[in-house]
Amino acid sequence: MSTTALTAQGLPRRTASPDRAGAPRRRLRIVEAPARRRRPKLLYGIVAVAGAFLIAAAQMSLSLMTTQGTYELSSLAKEQRDLTYQKQILYDDVAGLSSPQYLAANASALGMVINEAPSYLRLSDGAILGPSEVAMGASSVDAIGRGSVANALITDTPLVTVPDATIGGLPVQVADPVDGGVGNTPPPMTDGLPTPSTH
Amino acid sequence: MTTRSTRSPRRRTVVALAVVLAVLAGFVVRLVDIQVVNADEHVQDSLNVAFAGKEKLYGTRGTIVDTNGQVLAGSILQYDCQVDPLLITQIDTAVLEKKSKARLWADVSDDVAAITGQTPEEVRQIVGDALAENSETQYAKLKNGVSTEQFRALADLKVPYLHCQEHPARAYPDGAVAGNLIGFVGTDGKPLESLEKSENACLAATNGELTYEQGKDGVVIPGTEKETPATDGGTLQLTIDRDLQWYMQQLIAEQTQNMVAQRGAILVYEVKTGKVRAAAEYPTVDPNNFSVAEAGDRTSSIFLDWFEPGSTFKGLTAATVIDAGGQTPESTVTASGLENFPGGVRVRDSFQHPAYDYTLTGVLIDSSNAGISKFSEKVDKQTRYDYFTRFGIGQGTGSGYPNERAGDLPSADQWGAQTTYNTAFGQGVTTTMPELARAYGAIVDGGIRMPLQIIESCTKPDGTVVKPEVAEPERVVSESTSAQMREVLENVFLQANYAKAVEIPGYRIGGKTGTGEKSDGNGHYKAGVYYTTMIGFAPADDPEYVVVVTLDEPTKVTSSAANATAFQKAMTQVLKTYRVMPSTTSPVLLPKFG
Repeated sequence: MSTTALTAQGLPRRTASPDRAGAPRRRLRIVEAPARRRRPKLLYGIVAVAGAFLIAAAQMSLSLMTTQGTYELSSLAKEQRDLTYQKQILYDDVAGLSSPQYLAANASALGMVINEAPSYLRLSDGAILGPSEVAMGASSVDAIGRGSVANALITDTPLVTVPDATIGGLPVQVADPVDGGVGNTPPPMTDGLPTPSTH
Repeated sequence: MTTRSTRSPRRRTVVALAVVLAVLAGFVVRLVDIQVVNADEHVQDSLNVAFAGKEKLYGTRGTIVDTNGQVLAGSILQYDCQVDPLLITQIDTAVLEKKSKARLWADVSDDVAAITGQTPEEVRQIVGDALAENSETQYAKLKNGVSTEQFRALADLKVPYLHCQEHPARAYPDGAVAGNLIGFVGTDGKPLESLEKSENACLAATNGELTYEQGKDGVVIPGTEKETPATDGGTLQLTIDRDLQWYMQQLIAEQTQNMVAQRGAILVYEVKTGKVRAAAEYPTVDPNNFSVAEAGDRTSSIFLDWFEPGSTFKGLTAATVIDAGGQTPESTVTASGLENFPGGVRVRDSFQHPAYDYTLTGVLIDSSNAGISKFSEKVDKQTRYDYFTRFGIGQGTGSGYPNERAGDLPSADQWGAQTTYNTAFGQGVTTTMPELARAYGAIVDGGIRMPLQIIESCTKPDGTVVKPEVAEPERVVSESTSAQMREVLENVFLQANYAKAVEIPGYRIGGKTGTGEKSDGNGHYKAGVYYTTMIGFAPADDPEYVVVVTLDEPTKVTSSAANATAFQKAMTQVLKTYRVMPSTTSPVLLPKFG
């Protein structure tokens, strides 16, 4: 609607409109003071705002819960990585200890021999099959003195039975320089007879 | 209603509105362009630049195990470490200007050297050389093949210019045991020799990839992971028994040294199944440290070398004439120490003797070349050639070892006059240890030639087991021929001059020796040095194992008696390992002379 003001001068004066006879009379009355606006109920407003907050809070907590799992996963993954490293380090340490040359060197260092043909005891009738020979001192192979099957993983690993030796052989015994001529006495016994530790 | 007085203000309004709408349309077009037309491109950019995370998933190379599941070759992780020289210089500058509390490189390099095992001077020189070449370089290789323990120690130093990358490597817990068969991998993980190389299709792993979107601090956004899984390699199982293999390797090493020979080898063949239980040789290679072995020792000469078998072929000829020539172990011929044959052929025995009435058994006991030549005339040379071929000589055995050598058996029409007789006692023909073992297995085990294999199976990570293709068992000689040959060969070991050296108390064994001549590379034979073979089987009444022992140019004892100790100990160990019961029957002694 144009807000251009109508200048009073430009308009021709209107004549009074003819009275339309028979038209129903509109009842006009003076408007009183406008009706009082009802105050909106505070409760509804509070409920609406609280609801909005609740929804926001619920959404945030749900999202927190889903992402919480990822942080836990991340820290568990780090722990797993550390444990894998430890496992690898331990595996590297024991690699080679189960090899046959290590076992044979340990056994030979104790004085065990690989025997010649064995005898068998047949349990059903008690018969002894085979040559029934005593195991003599010589071993058919010398796993500690002439170890020829190399293993780079345990070349310098000390034997379990004789910690001075490796699979390469026993160390060469060098006689200690004798002081005052008492080199040949055996070491004194302090804890009773020496016994091997067995498992 | 519009009047002239309302028109111009309204036009201004319209124009203003039109301008606003035009600007708005521009924005809308641009928005549509970004959100709809180029949307995928922009999303991709955001993923690649801002959110993308990628991780390589390594598959583990498959293990190699022995027949009992003991690991012979396994995979470990090692690390390749590098330093960033530019960052080092920057940090050092900052420390010297008192802007940083970090430690100086001179200090840190001492710690680094202590961990990696290099000297501090070496470490500093690596950085110094890299900077001398290019003062802005960000890469200098510190050390490859660092172990996990060293890697963690380096990581604990917490210096930003040290970075290690993992790379998978191979570890061989049993060292040189079966090293000649397994082979080894190079420093870059590429398989170089023997089964590691030829069975790579079974052992190799494929890498996978894990892509995800990451938030700050690299935390993975849930639900965005996409994984292409890595596949591990399969497990290769060999027929070799690890502990028996160790014993044989130790034994042949000692015996080769005792006899001052160039090489020695032992092959243990299980006749009933055709599986090789040990294939030991000296000198051999430790796959953990293969570079110290000579280039010629890094593979298996058992499967790659051939030799002239010599008298061990008398066993094959004897089986042929019994099967096709109507002979028996007690058939006789008259042979002296030097015999002449048609075509100007002369055949000499290894010792002078007058004309004896040898039985076939006697010919093998005394290893008489003249005697076996006379016996070989009972069948024609084509028949002998056919029998040799059916025994597998010159065919290769298909064991599974890569590039396995086959022997060389010239066809019968190429046999000149001398060769026709020479092949009867194993000259003029070459063979390999697996071929010889398999042939003797056929002779003594009822006349059936079994295959020969070193690979048991390949088990894929999903559980499927793939067995190698092996030949079908084939009949070569009849059952009765085989039974007669068992008796003959048992008598050889009972009555030969080395009988005491090879006997195993409580067991019946049989076999044959051979002394082959060695070519000097110029068409002549070397004088005075031989390739000695001893092949035997046990128990003699129902053979289960064939053991072949060879020595290349033994000098302490130059004949095949050099192998006697090694054979006796090897066969004893085999019988012990597999709990073969001592014999309960006695052998039948056959006459040497008729």
